[in-house]
Amino acid sequence: MAAADTLPARLATISALVPTRTAVVDGERRVSYGALWAQVQGFAAHLRQLGVMPGDRVALVLPNRIEAITATYAAWLLGAVAVPLNVQARARDLAPWLAHCGARVVVHEHGHPDVAPLLPGLATVEHAVVLEPGRDLPGDGAGALLPATASPDEPAQILYTSGTTGAPKGVTLTHGNLAANTAAVVEYLRLRPDDSVLAVLPFYYAYGNSVLHTHLAAGACLHLARNAVFPLQLVEALASGRITGFSGVPSTFALLLQHVDFTAQDLPHLRYVTQAGGAMSRAMAGRLRFALPRAQLFVMYGQTEATSRLTWLPPERLDDKPGSVGVPVAGVSLRICDPQGAPLPAGVEGEVEVRGPNVMRGYWRDLEGTARVLRDGWLRTGDIGHLDPEGFLYLAGRRSDMIKTGAHRVHPGDVEEALAEMPGVIEAAVVGIDDEVLGQVIKAFVVARPPPPGGEAEVRAHCRALLAPYKVPRHVEFVDALPRTASGKVRRVRLKEAEVLS
Amino acid sequence: MEQRRQIKQFVLQNFLFSEDEAALGDEESLIDGGIVDSTGIHELVLYLEEQFNLAIAPEEMVPANFESITTVDRFVQRKKAIA
Repeated sequence: MAAADTLPARLATISALVPTRTAVVDGERRVSYGALWAQVQGFAAHLRQLGVMPGDRVALVLPNRIEAITATYAAWLLGAVAVPLNVQARARDLAPWLAHCGARVVVHEHGHPDVAPLLPGLATVEHAVVLEPGRDLPGDGAGALLPATASPDEPAQILYTSGTTGAPKGVTLTHGNLAANTAAVVEYLRLRPDDSVLAVLPFYYAYGNSVLHTHLAAGACLHLARNAVFPLQLVEALASGRITGFSGVPSTFALLLQHVDFTAQDLPHLRYVTQAGGAMSRAMAGRLRFALPRAQLFVMYGQTEATSRLTWLPPERLDDKPGSVGVPVAGVSLRICDPQGAPLPAGVEGEVEVRGPNVMRGYWRDLEGTARVLRDGWLRTGDIGHLDPEGFLYLAGRRSDMIKTGAHRVHPGDVEEALAEMPGVIEAAVVGIDDEVLGQVIKAFVVARPPPPGGEAEVRAHCRALLAPYKVPRHVEFVDALPRTASGKVRRVRLKEAEVLS
Repeated sequence: MEQRRQIKQFVLQNFLFSEDEAALGDEESLIDGGIVDSTGIHELVLYLEEQFNLAIAPEEMVPANFESITTVDRFVQRKKAIA
């Protein structure tokens, strides 16, 4: 696709060119590109009747279903801003988000426990559109069709990030941001009209949002899955839908690898698997490639503040660049900086900064927060890493995750990588816990099946063989699973809290 | 303790961080509400296997068995009956 096309313009074009092609399969329901576009037009007309004007915010509290897509594109036809919110969030998050974005219309499912009771207390909300299960959005087919005239500079979406503390952070993305990042991903994944993806990641997260729009922009087919909880069901969906692509976060793949015997599964159509949303250990990447030898694995890195994707590792470089998250996607510049913002040479570790057409305009109604992360057009990602001489990025962790033990600084990822290489270890997370002498000492939380017979001592011996002594965990605890955020990232804060309480 | 209550207590304590039985209905969807996610299902399966001395196959990790406290309870009952 041409990066100059906005997403609504792109969908208008595809719907006109191939109206009968299937766009979305949602359980028993399927919708063609032509029908999808007609629904978009119908709901846009309905929203206009409700008084929605350009720049207004239309909040969506929906799981992945056809109407989440329809409502987004309908808002865009009116020049409004779509605000997809986490459908699993409770009132204590939803209320601040809805108030902060000043939503005028809220679209939600009947039976959501928290949305309807909240709305009377929100001054800006004038209308709620309530969806019954399996039913279409209200539409008005009588009026003239609306053209897709959104300008690249206009805000298109606000995505609230899954931050665990503090005031709401609404990443504001323009049509230009979305179009540029979508075009870049379509290009490196080589998405085609005959591709079909099993979409398990929620559309209200940047990664799921990207999966949605890249496949629509390619004229491909999306098969929606409501959750990624039942591993065999996922694999059956991959097989029966002749799915060519699958995108997951490390916990998705951990679940699949633990519970599915891939030697008994035939997935001849699966062409690409993408991984992002937190670092996957090299060991797990290896197991995944072994389990799916015919699919190409795309390891990627990104941030909501950069629409979604920042870097990708070409699959043919997995073996000679193990552990790297690859090179910048088209249009993105990337540099490593010291704490004062001065660029650092290859091989030296510092903060990752990026610039490009996918970098957000800022946080919604938060000039101060925006100024903290955007400096002269460069986005400070808060991630620590280095570039190799060929420009491949290696991430070491989040700035705030760094463990300071004695005189040393330890990136949790280094230790977690070593732990993951131990036989029986499924995943591991390490945190720094307070220590009178060393400031912090390293504690590892390890998911192992079966647990090593030698217990904690065996884990420490394994680490000692691979790591500098100061990186060897002082404490090891075996756990059934790691606490994760709704988007699948390990909640180190939770691990630390558990430590303090115990 | 009654089996259903035991299962419910585990879900409450581990996924809802609550002791309050009223926080979760026996028929309430564990999946749609996100109470049990892709990490949670793994924890729940491990717990059931250990607590009730069962072996749960991937084929049994399906919505019909894990939709709610009631379906999990019935599933465990069936498994125990044939164990």
